[in-house]
Amino acid sequence: MGKSSIRQVAIYGKGGIGKSTTTQNLTAGLTELGKKVMVVGCDPKADSTRLLLGGLAQKTVLDTMRDVGGDIELEKILKTGYKGTKCVESGGPEPGVGCAGRGIITSIGLLERLGAYTPDLDYVFYDVLGDVVCGGFAMPIREGKAKEIYIVASGEMMALYAANNIAKGVQRYAQKGGVRLGGIICNSRNVDREIELLRAFSKELGSHLIYFVPRDNIVQHAEIRRKTVIEFNPDSHQAQEYRNLAKTIQENTDFVIPKPMTQERLEEILMEYGLMDLVEDYKI
Amino acid sequence: MAFDFESTTFGTREERLGSIVGYVGSIKDLAEQSRCGTLRERGRCFSQSSSCDAGCVLGYITHIRDVALINHAPSGCAAPASPIVTAQTQLAEKRSLSYNTVVLGTDLNESDTIFGAGAGLRQTILETWERYKPAAIFVTTSCVSGIIGEDVDSVIAEAAEEVPIPVVPIHCEGFKSKVWATGFDACDHAILSRIVKPPQQKGNFVNFKNFNESAREDIIDMFDAIGVDTFFLYSNTTLEEISHISEALATVSICGTLCSYLGNGLEEKYGVPYIKAINPLGVTGFETWFREIGRVVGKEKEVEAYITRERAIYIPQIEEVKKKLKGLRVVLGMGSSFAFQVARVVQELDMEVAYVTSWHYDSRYDDGNPPPHVQHLAAHTPVDFPVNIADQQNFELMNILNTYKPDLYLGRHGGTSVWAIKQGVPAIFMADEYMTFGYKRTLSFAHTVLDRITNRSFENNLSARIRLPYTKWWYQQESDSLYKEAE
Repeated sequence: MGKSSIRQVAIYGKGGIGKSTTTQNLTAGLTELGKKVMVVGCDPKADSTRLLLGGLAQKTVLDTMRDVGGDIELEKILKTGYKGTKCVESGGPEPGVGCAGRGIITSIGLLERLGAYTPDLDYVFYDVLGDVVCGGFAMPIREGKAKEIYIVASGEMMALYAANNIAKGVQRYAQKGGVRLGGIICNSRNVDREIELLRAFSKELGSHLIYFVPRDNIVQHAEIRRKTVIEFNPDSHQAQEYRNLAKTIQENTDFVIPKPMTQERLEEILMEYGLMDLVEDYKI
Repeated sequence: MAFDFESTTFGTREERLGSIVGYVGSIKDLAEQSRCGTLRERGRCFSQSSSCDAGCVLGYITHIRDVALINHAPSGCAAPASPIVTAQTQLAEKRSLSYNTVVLGTDLNESDTIFGAGAGLRQTILETWERYKPAAIFVTTSCVSGIIGEDVDSVIAEAAEEVPIPVVPIHCEGFKSKVWATGFDACDHAILSRIVKPPQQKGNFVNFKNFNESAREDIIDMFDAIGVDTFFLYSNTTLEEISHISEALATVSICGTLCSYLGNGLEEKYGVPYIKAINPLGVTGFETWFREIGRVVGKEKEVEAYITRERAIYIPQIEEVKKKLKGLRVVLGMGSSFAFQVARVVQELDMEVAYVTSWHYDSRYDDGNPPPHVQHLAAHTPVDFPVNIADQQNFELMNILNTYKPDLYLGRHGGTSVWAIKQGVPAIFMADEYMTFGYKRTLSFAHTVLDRITNRSFENNLSARIRLPYTKWWYQQESDSLYKEAE
């Protein structure tokens, strides 16, 4: 492993919530702060570094291993992207076959053996598929790898269910290791009272809403062009939001063992902030 | 029970039979709890390694002599294949038969666990047919294929369209059951669901389910005496022969554990009566079992004539040798059927059962009734002797032997008898399932016991020169001190 001062960060959240987009834009923001960053995509779709590399140019660790066996050169699987960012995609099997979780375990183990964790790195980000679905997807927070967890969520109910579930996984590993929850990142879906709901949810977890990323269509424009917002339009308001997110992460010192809530309590919070006042709006 | 032969999978012994591998009590308590349905698995907070159902399948289905077995597993799971095939070949050689069964493996590796190995399995099936032309291909699953959720059935169904023989999955993931005897059922499920054909005519034979058919000639003579033929399975059988077991007069077995699924399944599916009496070990066991066969196949008179004739030859001799065995204290460690059936033989020979440890225990068999031999033993034993159920947890056995200090240990699995000897206890390794079968072998067994306890120099010398790994502390504990409580 590399130097102990590398901040290894895992980004979790419900599928489709914007983990990869947030991670890559955040990474772009950190590089502007002069930080050396490696992004490890832990998703069989292998699209966690697309915006940093300008496309899906990456051959995944597991595909490479399948083709050439264990004798792999690091250069084959580690590509340099936006402003020197190191990009790796774990990859995985076709949907419905094999075990993607096992693939992540193998892949991270291989990266360590190949010396990918160089001492010059300031950050390693693990962009992890969806919910914590099995032990393999919890790999980045086991065995002293990622120590900081950020959960990307929104004001939508299922996103918060997933976030609470992920917090359970973090709590489990936090009790026997050093992993801590750094906060909740809201990737806004323009849900009513979203920021209040996310603040209340984060507080209930014993954590905090570390940043509220507003919804802006420029993100989609940048994605279509295979770029982060910071690269696509550095002067845009959204680019500044991601820079602010990067600065907030850089300065964050509030790391906790989360206190996941019961289903009943979560639904109480949702009713309080998300639903009750809006029932009338759905009358036809 | 309702068998589902349409499905490729089946219930484990725990699910179907309420089987357990953790219990300490007594024979009467075990029998009573079996009847009442209150028996529960106690579980352990520490256990040694044991055997798995996949290994059991590998050892059993390969008794058939003209098939192929593909072990869809890491190569290590097929490690026992070499000695197993050697043994099966020798069993065939004894009867001047050819043994052509092959065991192959897909050698699952790390990459396979990630990406799946369906393509490799399919290729292996096709290649197996091309090279060996077996009568059928059985594909056994493993822990690894189970964990990654490999869709073995679909791969097999696809490949089966390209070969002119049955390709049959045997679902026996090692973690599926704590009772390795579930592997026998896995084999029988595959045979009953895919190989056995509906009866074309009624035959004049009984299916005799056993392991190594060492008493084959005597048994053939015995059934000849009542005018019935015998078909032994699966040892030295061909697939074609097995496909006709639905035509039998009845199914009988040397072991209740071994035959519960096949016997009851065949009875339910094709109406072949399964003889559910206690098994033919010792005098009482043999006579009860043979009389029941006589009743079912309509040969009562012939059976009685045989019994009368044989009793006259052997009973006086057995009575004579019994005098020299009287009072010997015996600990037994065996599978769930043999443990309690040989215990019955031990008591018949006027020895005392000090303790029985059984590798597992089925609360009931597939007919829904508790194992008859346990009920019989509980009803007839002069003392309510202690019993534990332990899947070859050797550290518990060593504790038991140290506590009870028997004159003799009887084990049906070689590893345990060696450990008894190392502790200074004379032991007999009863690998041959026919060692106490019928009159002649009961007499022979009695002589073997006499020989074994007469000269004790082997265990005395060995134990004096060996330091066992168990501490004084462990010997001071109760043997079940590392059990959890029953749920």
